[in-house]
Amino acid sequence: MTLADQFQPGTFVDALRFIVDNIGFLLHLAGEQLELSFAAIGIALVIALPLGLWLGHKHRGLFLAASVSNVGRALPSLVLIAFGLVIFGLGFWNNTAALVVLAVPPILTNAYFGVDGVDPDVVEAARGMGLSERQVLTQVELPLGMPLVVGGIRIATIFVIATATIASIAGGGGLGDVIVNQATYGLAGVVGASLCVSLLAFLAAFLLGLLHRAVSPRPVRGA
Amino acid sequence: MIAASPPVIPNFGQGSPCEVNNGTFCWDWVVEHWHDTLWPALVQHIELALIAVAIGFAIAFLLALAGLRYRVLDAPIGYWADFLYTIPSLALFQLLVPFTGITVLTVEIALVSYTLLVLYRNMIDGLLAVPAEVIESARGSGFTRTQTFLRVELPLATPTIMAGVRIATVSTISIATVAATILPQGLGYPIFIALRQDVFKTEIFAAGALAVALSLTADGLLHLLERALTPWTRQVRHA
Amino acid sequence: MFRKHTRRAAKAAYAVSLGVALLIGLIGAAASTAATAKPQAAPTIVIGTKNFTEEYVLGQLYKQALEGAGFKVSYKENIGSSELIDTAITSGKINFYPEYTGVIVQDLAHKTSPKTAAATYAAAKKWEQTRGLTLLNATPFYDSDSFGMLTSTAKKLGVKTIGDMKKVKSFTFAGYPECDKRITCLLGLKQIYGLTQAKFVQLASISVYTLLDEGKITAGDVFSTDPQLAGTKYTVLTDTKHIFGFQNVAPVVNQKVLSEAGPTFAQVVNAVSAKLTIPAMIAMNKAVAIDKASPAAVAAGFLKANNLK
Repeated sequence: MTLADQFQPGTFVDALRFIVDNIGFLLHLAGEQLELSFAAIGIALVIALPLGLWLGHKHRGLFLAASVSNVGRALPSLVLIAFGLVIFGLGFWNNTAALVVLAVPPILTNAYFGVDGVDPDVVEAARGMGLSERQVLTQVELPLGMPLVVGGIRIATIFVIATATIASIAGGGGLGDVIVNQATYGLAGVVGASLCVSLLAFLAAFLLGLLHRAVSPRPVRGA
Repeated sequence: MIAASPPVIPNFGQGSPCEVNNGTFCWDWVVEHWHDTLWPALVQHIELALIAVAIGFAIAFLLALAGLRYRVLDAPIGYWADFLYTIPSLALFQLLVPFTGITVLTVEIALVSYTLLVLYRNMIDGLLAVPAEVIESARGSGFTRTQTFLRVELPLATPTIMAGVRIATVSTISIATVAATILPQGLGYPIFIALRQDVFKTEIFAAGALAVALSLTADGLLHLLERALTPWTRQVRHA
Repeated sequence: MFRKHTRRAAKAAYAVSLGVALLIGLIGAAASTAATAKPQAAPTIVIGTKNFTEEYVLGQLYKQALEGAGFKVSYKENIGSSELIDTAITSGKINFYPEYTGVIVQDLAHKTSPKTAAATYAAAKKWEQTRGLTLLNATPFYDSDSFGMLTSTAKKLGVKTIGDMKKVKSFTFAGYPECDKRITCLLGLKQIYGLTQAKFVQLASISVYTLLDEGKITAGDVFSTDPQLAGTKYTVLTDTKHIFGFQNVAPVVNQKVLSEAGPTFAQVVNAVSAKLTIPAMIAMNKAVAIDKASPAAVAAGFLKANNLK
């Protein structure tokens, strides 16, 4: 068989037809994938956001924030999914835990630097006005640090949604079920399902991008 | 089907109790299979990642030069790199097989594609961040365009570019584990085999730990390289 | 401004880095294309295997035997299911792989199962020959899909044959993805045994035994030479309607490669196949799956003990 026999445009059209023919099934899988992703991001937010904000406020733990970021980046997703399976067995927790580990570093690091990087003069002024530490954080530092904080959440979300595809090998369901199963769904199915994953990731990036713009001060937006 | 004399079935020995019962970590398995499984996988993984980052760097550099020179190209190149990145690696490897076969080339094409997003972005951003006054001042001192680029813009952009190389390297090492779905090479392969073998814990932990160690080591070495290349920025920098 | 030697150092470092990067990249690319573009005297045997233990063992057996006889072998393990590896061999990515005769006839050629093992082999060979491929000799051992479950579950449900499952209101059945569409698997269970209440659970990278142990499924698609079946923990229900077919192994090989490789090629392969009995395969599967030996070492041991290497 020559290259011409497997020319891509044919497969691409087949992929679109696959999506249309199986739209209900794909939506169901997308729902599974988003459910898993949001669970992981939710848990990661609870763990990492308060911690990152507090450490940034105290200007303590720079080494921790930087290291968590470095180490977190270095963890191959497949390895985390496999470790999750070994530790938790098949079920809800093995993939959720793995994705939480992936989501925490960007959220933690960006929350830290978002708050840590606020202009010290502004913080001093707020203290001078009699605001408590808590109020300084919530009413001054957090609003000013929002762009970075939201930026970190955006990165984590895209990463988690994309990685949730691999979770299908450990029982995570989602669009990965089609992508690993070329034998049943053919190359058209694989292309179709991955187009759906790309779409989900883009959608998340776009929506969170809107949020990011909404919380960014006007002069910075031009960047 | 011709009947032949029955075969001699050698005694294959027995696995240790740890191996047979799938204990959490069986050192004897690791020692026994270091040479035939773990070490070759590690070497393959390093090769795959090294080639991908090297080629990605070269391509991104050329693209950045083009994007810099002809600014109108910047957005399309950027979007193309962004799009490549969102294709799930699980899918991209499979999609390339009909074209380039079950080969290292297939894996490399995919891996290089994923590096382009970070490398291109960081190179362009780094070069664009050089203040216009600095460039003008250099031109004013008599530097040609090329000299300005090589002696002023590149060095100033180095921290950003190196940050990109670090991220690209670490993510390449990560994605290369997924290459095992089509090519039996790299540290992902023992993991997939072990998953299928009733989740053989030792092999998963051993190969996984090697992948993490490789990733951290690469990141650390590149951090040192970054500091060596930019001696004038030896203050505390956010990583 | 910057000290001159710093600028020069940075410039030199860049030039060196870029040069090294290009060099590594070019060497790597050249090496991988050279490996595929070399003109050969005798053809390189490109062996592929499917994605489970027994196939890894079979692949290693044939690979090492051929290498021992002086052939050049390229080994592509773990390609995937029959459907995928069949595409690989018809598109020339591989030219040799071990396949099960019943799978060829029923799942690839979509014909009904013949009544004997010999007839299945003949039908499989005939069909492959219409596609530029052919079969070498079949092995004495056969390995068919089987309906497996925990012995405790079988006792609880009171089932001995597959037909008995009709009385179970609903149950889950796990198998590799292609099982859903195969008459030698779930499709056959539904259509021939009438078990329409079966719910399919797809396996991705995890084995059926893991799912059975964790209580996630009622039953699953197991293979008759699985070493796990040797004990009493798992039970196989009797296939009275013989839907799983006859499943001896025969190497599928590209006809052109077969003729170019010379008569020794078929001799070496057939000699190996002749020695593969059920006890031999179970022993080798056990060594790999239970005792965690490597397929390469197990194959080497077997070939050596039988003077095939």
